[in-house]
Amino acid sequence: MIIQTMIIGGISMNKKVKLFGMAVALSSMVFAAGCGNSSKEASSSEASGEKGGESVAVVLKTLSSPYWKYVEAGAKAAGEELGVDVTVVGPSSEAEVIQQVNMLEDQVSQGPGAVVVSPTQPETVVPVLEKAAKDTPVLLIDSDADFEGKTTFIGTENYSAGQEGGKLLASMLKKGDKVVLIAGALGNPATDTRIKGAKEALEAAGMEVVAEQPADSDKAKAMSVMENILQNNKDVKGVFAANDDMAIGALRAVEAKGLKDVKVMGVDGTMEAVESILDGKLAASVAQSPYNMGYQGVENAVKAMNGEKIEERIDSGIDLITKENAKEQLDFLKSISK
Amino acid sequence: MSQVAVNPVNETVKEKKTLKSYLGKFAPLLALVLLCIGFAVLSDKFLTLDNITNIFRQSSINALLAVGMLLAILTAGIDLSVGSILALSIMVMGLVSVTWSMHPILGILSVLVVGAGFGFFNGILLTKLRLPHPFISTMGTQFIARGLALIVTAAAPIAGFPYMIQFLGSEFIGPMPVSFLLVIVVYVIMHIFLTRTQTGRYIYAIGGNPEAARLSGINVDRVLVIVYTISGLMAGLAGLVMVGRVNSAFPLAGLQYETDAIAAVIIGGASFMGGVGTVSGTLIGAMTIAVLRNGLNLLNVSADSQLAIIGMVIIGAVFVDVLRNRKKKK
Repeated sequence: MIIQTMIIGGISMNKKVKLFGMAVALSSMVFAAGCGNSSKEASSSEASGEKGGESVAVVLKTLSSPYWKYVEAGAKAAGEELGVDVTVVGPSSEAEVIQQVNMLEDQVSQGPGAVVVSPTQPETVVPVLEKAAKDTPVLLIDSDADFEGKTTFIGTENYSAGQEGGKLLASMLKKGDKVVLIAGALGNPATDTRIKGAKEALEAAGMEVVAEQPADSDKAKAMSVMENILQNNKDVKGVFAANDDMAIGALRAVEAKGLKDVKVMGVDGTMEAVESILDGKLAASVAQSPYNMGYQGVENAVKAMNGEKIEERIDSGIDLITKENAKEQLDFLKSISK
Repeated sequence: MSQVAVNPVNETVKEKKTLKSYLGKFAPLLALVLLCIGFAVLSDKFLTLDNITNIFRQSSINALLAVGMLLAILTAGIDLSVGSILALSIMVMGLVSVTWSMHPILGILSVLVVGAGFGFFNGILLTKLRLPHPFISTMGTQFIARGLALIVTAAAPIAGFPYMIQFLGSEFIGPMPVSFLLVIVVYVIMHIFLTRTQTGRYIYAIGGNPEAARLSGINVDRVLVIVYTISGLMAGLAGLVMVGRVNSAFPLAGLQYETDAIAAVIIGGASFMGGVGTVSGTLIGAMTIAVLRNGLNLLNVSADSQLAIIGMVIIGAVFVDVLRNRKKKK
C-alpha cells in the first residue's frame, strides 16, 4: 500500500499535485506503521477486556539491551498469568532521558490502571510521577526515585549484593591477598553501594584493597583501568567489579598480562558473564534478577490496583553464580530471552 | 499575431507556478494536519486536552533549538553544538543556583550567558580562525561543550532547583504550558527579526549568495557571529525549559538534540543550501516531530520503529524540497 501511494505520487500523477501526493505518501507511511501496531494493540486489549480490562504501563530505561529484555520478559509473563494488559515501552538508548519522560507522559495520559517505571535519571521523572501518583499506583523497579505517593520500590539490595559478592570472592582467596575494586561512573548510587558492600566484606575477611577506581560500567574502560592497576600491582589476586561488563574488561587485561590465578567477579549475571563462568574464565557473578523485577513489578501493580497493601521496599533477590550453577542460569536466561 | 499566441502561454505558466508554489508552501502544514487527523482516528486519546498539552510541552525544547538552527541553516551553515551547549549551560546554572545557592535570577542569567557566550565562541571560530565550514567548528565545540558539562560537576546530576527557575518549564497558564507560550513569543520575535530588520535580511542574503553579499558591502563575519550567538542563546533558553520540566540538570542532557532541531528546520521547508526557510515553517517542523513521536507513543510503536519512521519523514521532506527546486529551475 505504501509502495502504491509512492508510485502514484511519483509517476502517474500530473505535476500540479505531485507535492500533494508526496505529502500523502509520507503520511501513509507513518499510518501504515501505526495501523499495523494499533490493530495488534486493539486485539490484545479486547482479550484483556474479557478478563477485566485492567492495564499496566511499564516504562523502562531502554529496551535495547539484554538486561532490559529480561525485565520486559518478566513483566509480560506476569501480565499473561494475571490476565492484565501490559504495555512495555522504553527509548532506543539509555541516553535518551527526556524521551523517556515523554514516553512516561504519553503512557500516563492514557489512564492506565498502574504505572511501573525504571527511571534513567531518577530526578527527571519526579514531576510526572508525583502528578500520576495522585490517582494511580506508581511502582519503581531497578532504580528508585523519591516522590510523594510512591507505591513501592522493587530492586536489588545493592549493598547486600556487594557484600555477598565480597564474601564469595574472599572465600576463594587467602588472608592478606591483594584485591582491586572497579566501580561504575562516579556518583552512580547503584554501583557505588555495591562497591561499598564488597569493600567492607573483603576487608572484614582480611584482604588488602590496593586500588579502587571507576570505569563507568564500560568494558573497554575497565580493561584500560585494570591494565594501569596491574602496572603497579603485579601480585593482585582478586578483582571485584560493580558490573559484569567491567569484570569482563578487567579479565581481558588480566589475561593479556598472562596472569593465571586472579579471581575476577562482577555483578548482574548477564549471559556473556555466565558463559564466561561456564568456560572457567570469570570466577563468579552476583546475579540480579531483572526478570523478577519485571514480574514482581506487574504482580504488585495488580495488587495495588485491587487495593491491597504493599510493602514500601521489595527485594527482588540475588543469586550467586559460580561454575556449579552457571549451566542452570544460562538455560534460564536463554529461555526468557526468546 | 505572435504576440497574441505568446500571451496565453505566459498566463498559464504563471497560473501553474502560483499553484505549485502555493502547494509547496503549504505542503509541510498539510502533512502536519493529515498526521493529526490520522492519529486522531487511530487513537481516541490523541485529541484529549491532556495529550494536546503534552504535545505542546514536548515540542517546546526542540522548537527553541530549531529556531536557532534555522538561522544557521539560512546562512548555508549548521550548528551541531546546540545539544552540548544546552548541557553545559544547565550544569553551570545548577552550579550557580543549587550548589552555590545564589539568587535564581543569577541562575537564569548564567544559563543564557553561557549559551550565548558559547555560541559567540562558535561564531568567532568560524569567522576569525576561518575554519572551512561550521560543520567542523561546531562539531569540535560539540565535544568541548559536552566535555565541560561533564567536568563541571564530575558527571553528577543536580536536582532541586528553585521555583523561579522551574517556572518556564513546569507551569501552566490555563491549560497552556508556559514553555509553549515562550516558544510563541520567541518565534514572533524571530519572525520580525528575520523579515523586518536589516540583519535579518542579510542572513537570507548571505545564504542565497555569500559572494554577492560580501560584494554588496554586507559585513558577513559580523552577521555570522550574530547568528551563532543567537543559536547558542536559544540552546541556553531550551536548557532552562528542560530543567524546569524535569527539575534536574544532568550532563548528558540534550544528547543528539541537534539532529531533531535540524530535522524540524528541514521538514519545515528550509533549504540546506541556505537562503530559503521561514520561522513559521520551522514551527510546523518542530510540531510535526513532536506529533509524530507523541502519536507513535500512544499507538505503542516501538522506539526503534519510531526512529526509522522519523528518518523516512526527513528524507521525504527533503525530497519535496528537491522537487520544488527542480521546478524552479525549469
